[in-house]
Amino acid sequence: MRKKLTPYLFLAGPLTLYSIWVIYPIFRTFLVSFTRWDGMTKSRFVGWENFVRLFNDRYFILSLLNNLKWMIGFVILSIPLGLLFAMLMDQKYPGHKVYKSLVYLPMALSFVVIGQIWSWVLEPSGGVVNAFLRWIGLEGLAKPWLSDPKIVTYSLIWAALWRQIPYAMVLFLAGLQSVDKEHVEAAIVDGANAFQRFWYVILPELRPAIVITITVNIIDSLRAFDIVFVMTRGGPYYSSSVMANYMYIQAFHNYRMGYGASIAVIQFLITLGFILIYVLNVLKREERL
Amino acid sequence: MKKTFRATLFYVLCTLIVVLWMVPFVVAFFTAFKTMDEIFMLRNFWSPPKTWTFENFKIAWIEGRMARYFINTAIVTAVSVAGTLLLSSLSAYALAWYEFKLRTTILMIFVSGMLIPFQMLLIPVYRFSVVTGLYDTLIGVILFHVAFQLGFCTFFLRNFMVTIPSSLFDAARIDGAGAFRIYSKIIMPLVKPAVAALSILEFTWIWNDYLWSLILLQSDAKKTVTIGLTTLQGQWISSWNVIAAGALLAATVPVIVFLIFQRYFIQGLTLGSIKG
Amino acid sequence: MKKFVVLVLVTIMVFVFAKERIVINSYMSDPAPRKALAELVEIFQQKYPEYEVVVNTFAHEDFKVLLRTWLASPKGTADVVTWFAGERMRYFAEMGLIVPVEEVFEGAKWEDYFPEAFRSTCSYKDKIYFIPQSWYWWGVYYRKSVFEKFGIKEPKTWDDFLQVCETLKKNGIVPITIGTKFPWTAAGWFDILNLRINGLDYHIALTAGEVPYTDPKLLKVFEYWRQIIDKGYLLPNHTAYEWQEAATFLFRGQAGMYYMGQFIKDVAPAEVKDDLDFFRFPIIDPAVAPYEETPIDGFMIPANAPNKKGAIVFLRFIASKEAQEKFAKDLGRLAANVEVAPPDAHAKKGLDMILASAGVAQFYDRDTNPEMAEVGMNAFIEFMQNPDRINDILKRLEAERKRIYGK
Repeated sequence: MRKKLTPYLFLAGPLTLYSIWVIYPIFRTFLVSFTRWDGMTKSRFVGWENFVRLFNDRYFILSLLNNLKWMIGFVILSIPLGLLFAMLMDQKYPGHKVYKSLVYLPMALSFVVIGQIWSWVLEPSGGVVNAFLRWIGLEGLAKPWLSDPKIVTYSLIWAALWRQIPYAMVLFLAGLQSVDKEHVEAAIVDGANAFQRFWYVILPELRPAIVITITVNIIDSLRAFDIVFVMTRGGPYYSSSVMANYMYIQAFHNYRMGYGASIAVIQFLITLGFILIYVLNVLKREERL
Repeated sequence: MKKTFRATLFYVLCTLIVVLWMVPFVVAFFTAFKTMDEIFMLRNFWSPPKTWTFENFKIAWIEGRMARYFINTAIVTAVSVAGTLLLSSLSAYALAWYEFKLRTTILMIFVSGMLIPFQMLLIPVYRFSVVTGLYDTLIGVILFHVAFQLGFCTFFLRNFMVTIPSSLFDAARIDGAGAFRIYSKIIMPLVKPAVAALSILEFTWIWNDYLWSLILLQSDAKKTVTIGLTTLQGQWISSWNVIAAGALLAATVPVIVFLIFQRYFIQGLTLGSIKG
Repeated sequence: MKKFVVLVLVTIMVFVFAKERIVINSYMSDPAPRKALAELVEIFQQKYPEYEVVVNTFAHEDFKVLLRTWLASPKGTADVVTWFAGERMRYFAEMGLIVPVEEVFEGAKWEDYFPEAFRSTCSYKDKIYFIPQSWYWWGVYYRKSVFEKFGIKEPKTWDDFLQVCETLKKNGIVPITIGTKFPWTAAGWFDILNLRINGLDYHIALTAGEVPYTDPKLLKVFEYWRQIIDKGYLLPNHTAYEWQEAATFLFRGQAGMYYMGQFIKDVAPAEVKDDLDFFRFPIIDPAVAPYEETPIDGFMIPANAPNKKGAIVFLRFIASKEAQEKFAKDLGRLAANVEVAPPDAHAKKGLDMILASAGVAQFYDRDTNPEMAEVGMNAFIEFMQNPDRINDILKRLEAERKRIYGK
């Protein structure tokens, strides 16, 4: 009897705190998503109204599509580039540690700082990117990166990748540790060139790392908020909005708590799919241990 | 010959990447030392200042009330990290070493909690803090951080604990050691490296938090560095040099901590491989 | 026993000498107004030593979001908050989240302090909820030296205005600067064009949600607006800048004009301040009398304020001639208090412009429902970037109006 109780005794403290600050709020948000509520006066139950409205809301759809852009951007850029950086810096030439530290540095920064710095990098008149383009004679490519609705989302993803690529690189470097050096040596003996070694030997062994990194990137892309909030607040006119940001605007600017909650719920449900993939992956790996 | 070529290629490519990656830092650095006149007359961010001035740092430090905010942030971060690590080691211990009915369920709850879109929590957490009187207190922010980070830390430590050979645990049990004794005397010393890695990760995240301090604090006397920086931005919107100085000041502590403890940070990310 | 007596004495002393706290949450985050408020608080504390005043300052845009969270919480955390008169104040009064402040006038009347004309924007259902502190006008700001250099005179009519733009443009100066990263600056243009073209009554009806956004009369506003957009008179990439950043173009002589509130002076560098002047927004239709925008800023008391008594005392001080005079003088704004004369020639000019006008509006986001304002202002930005979409934009605005006002 006592033995059965032991794990619960250990869990009592953490679980209580967790329930109050995390579990309960999640349930609360689910409830609120079925109401019309301005956050001040009494709320009113409206059934599925918020959700129906959401899918007729062009800005919500736009935010959803922007999340998709983030997702694609993260996956097709931070995975290959992260892998490339990792492969490159995994060669233990003197000084490789210094190179790594410098590339990692953005991960130590707050999004507030990142957003501020990048708005200077992308500033239209004197920002580094445009100045550089003009300097090499590509005046035509100099763009108002943060004010043109057509490109602003890509600019934000670009800024986010500054931090995301090193992150992917860290995960791949760890994955490379587990690549069997003997297999690589064997391939060299067999006369495989660098590309073949990479494609037929290293890549397959990296598979678990790749799966994890992709999932992590997808989850991060769906949660994107800080960079958008700091750099454009979703503007101009919602063109760079993502779900998290649109939820914040609806709930806290427009006083539509119920509507905002319903966005959070949708975002949660979409993310949940990937969370499940991730969790199953982790548990499966464990079974093999 | 081939060897030198490869080495050259390595250095060339790495230098290229690092230079590219450093550009934003250089921009901030230059801007922070420029005078107002230079910023607006030339309106470029890439050239070094013609006249270097430290005035901006002084303004940012005083107007941004950085001294006060650094202390607040240090308190919040230190206590939160310690609290999270303590509590999550308890729950991780239970989830790693005991078989019980709700084990998988509870683990799943911790794991999914760490990945949820945090906006789900904003409104209820705010209201809860106000009702309980935790609003606008450092302890309120700390409690929230501890709870919110529990999911990740529990998951992280549990994953590390299950790699410890269970013979150790069983042997101690047969010797008649109590559960808490096993936890504190046998398991915890073994997970020290994981705790080190985790604490650096958590340090960086909590130090850099912005939204929760914004929502849960109101007094100027209690605000944190990131809030100080955004208030500074609100006040000195067009004084980019002052803001740059403030941003650099705000970044110093996490960057120094990161550079010193980088090894742990990277281990943490690798072991946890989920949050960013 | 002795110890006990000492303890009791200490407790009593603490009780007697403990100061009562008044907490003020303020959006005055620009250095100049922040300092002005801090000095007022200092004077207040000297006059009323029994109070200890704490001012919490927030960045403007954060404040707008946080205010509602404070007001709606079951337990209050602030006793006095800064805010805007008009619909934005009434929105909270209607929900009972702020309380009437009539006690401020104990033994006196509203008229003893403030102009009768201000009463309605500060009231809800005949009760006063808002203590005005200062007010100001919107005008077209420019640098005298720049106008002189190109021999430009203040334009009186729309055609003159376009002519001025053309001259500036020819000389390599951006005719009109604006920063729309936060979209309210665009609402200023919408308001003044609507006032000039359709007049005050129409504007008030529109902002009250009584006129459809698809009304043909409204379309005319955007046609005029379009003229300056199509001719490229506006600052390029204006959505990348906040209003202060856009102002630097004017201060540096890189842009010619800025339709802005008087508070632009708060952020002007000292060497430019005296060179800065303004003129009345040009007349478009001579048949429409000149109406202007004059937002009123001030304070209100949350219904959940822990120390309402102290809040009233503080607001009574804020309403006083002394406090109003100091604030107006520090910032060159107009005091709400009737006894205070305009602090300088610039303010006198502003006051004269308002006195010569036929009526005043507050501001788009102060006259209309907050939710409508958010959609409306974003729509104006969309229009400024895609003038061709105007019909579609107005149709969407109309759908939102119907939803929000339930009409």
